[in-house]
Amino acid sequence: MNNFLQKILELFTTQDYINSFLRGFLLTLEISFFAIIIGLVLGTIIALIQTAKPSPWLVIPKFICKVYVTIIRGTPMALQLFIMFFIIFSIRNFPELVTAFLAFGLNSAAYTSEIIRGGILSVDKGQTEAGLALGLRPFTIFRKIVAPQTIKNSLPSLSNEIITVIKETAIVSMIGMYDLNMAAKDIGSGQNMSSYIVPMVVAALFYLAVIYLISFAIRKLEKRLRKHD
Amino acid sequence: MIKTRNLKKSFDTVKVINNINFELKPGECVAVIGPSGSGKSTFLRLINRLETPTSGEVYYGSQLITDKNIRLIRRKIGMVFQHFNLINNLTVLENLTLAPTSLRLLSDKAAEEKAFSLLRRIGLYNKRDSYPSSLSGGQQQRVAIIRALMLDPEVLLFDEPTSALDPEMIGEVLDLIRDVLKDGMTAIIVTHEINFAKEVASRIVFIDNGRIVEEGTPNKFFTHPESPRVKDFLSKVL
Ligand SMILES: Nc1ncnc2c1ncn2[C@@H]1O[C@H](COP(=O)(O)OP(=O)(O)OP(=O)(O)O)[C@@H](O)[C@H]1O
Ligand SMILES: [Mg+2]
Repeated sequence: MNNFLQKILELFTTQDYINSFLRGFLLTLEISFFAIIIGLVLGTIIALIQTAKPSPWLVIPKFICKVYVTIIRGTPMALQLFIMFFIIFSIRNFPELVTAFLAFGLNSAAYTSEIIRGGILSVDKGQTEAGLALGLRPFTIFRKIVAPQTIKNSLPSLSNEIITVIKETAIVSMIGMYDLNMAAKDIGSGQNMSSYIVPMVVAALFYLAVIYLISFAIRKLEKRLRKHD
Repeated sequence: MIKTRNLKKSFDTVKVINNINFELKPGECVAVIGPSGSGKSTFLRLINRLETPTSGEVYYGSQLITDKNIRLIRRKIGMVFQHFNLINNLTVLENLTLAPTSLRLLSDKAAEEKAFSLLRRIGLYNKRDSYPSSLSGGQQQRVAIIRALMLDPEVLLFDEPTSALDPEMIGEVLDLIRDVLKDGMTAIIVTHEINFAKEVASRIVFIDNGRIVEEGTPNKFFTHPESPRVKDFLSKVL
């Protein structure tokens, strides 16, 4: 036990270790941030296409969205990352950070689209009809009625998805990227630490802290949106 | 004012509205009655095109209603739903001002003034900043009725405005409808409140199986019904 505390102390006082952790932590945050943004934007677009009224020129986009969501949800994230990394973006000098957040963002978009689609479909039909009966334009109905209610309905699941993305980014260490997970492994294996358990526990606490903060913030937002229930 | 010609509507293969020819004259108040599932709501919804006819036409004045012109026509046709359908994420005041301001018919200020005066009329001015979920059913429906009035409609459509209400709230809603109709508002009201229909309607239309089976003045309809179907219905509800 004494030894354990000593190691923790060592970890937080050795500049090299601190630098490694911060470097890894920063990469984890970068990949997560851009992946979540891509996931939300693309996921929303897919959901809008999928829930749009059928029309001849939406047949192909709707089909593409369906195939896309099916493939992404039906294959392992790690495999998608490998394919992106070693095949699609294996062009020389393509920044690996971009490859990574694209891989996670494109993956997250499929799940996000399902969440938002569900949120849109769960808005009571009477709400839209009230807007129609008042002569409002479809866009106004979407902006003033459907969108706010969809956001409120989807927020808990979106929060879940965001958390999942952050944790899942840990697999970039499998393709040799230096994220938080990799930093822990690196510190534990090499240099003078000679303990995996301490850096790994510390890395886990970093993940936990970020995720706790995010769920806390989203819960606050949820409460505010719930004031009209 | 409103006319339907050979109006038909099927859902999949089920014929719900079966050739209805109907005319509503300005100043008339028509009460539509009939058994459950006979197509009364569908008929009303066909008029403001919440349902698209399978065949046949609906005219507003002399204008044939189409997908293209319906949005402008809807401003003139107020609708009150069975389940109120107030917008959940908007306050009472915002529910009232949403349409006139989005459609740029009134300035924000003018819309608010108008909403306030209507809210005072129904005694709910103090609820202006409440959300619909904190109102009773009767209060929600009364707000829904004045929401329809915000656009100064030429016609009002009511689809069983009291049948989702607890009995003790029916009175307040009927009082308001009575008040709205008393100045000669043109309206169609689908209702199970036979006595109310008798009182406010200038004409009763009885729908069964998607057809108009019988129509006439309340007096004639209730005292000397002709069709056996109507006699049977009336013997059960009166
Ligand atoms: N969107 C729809 N899809 C399929 N069937 C429908 C739809 N809307 C209504 N129907 C069917 O059409 C028939 C007539 O329905 P409608 O709601 O017009 O009856 P109603 O006379 O208003 O009945 P109630 O008194 O119960 O309100 C019913 O059998 C109903 O199940
Ligand atoms: Mg009905």
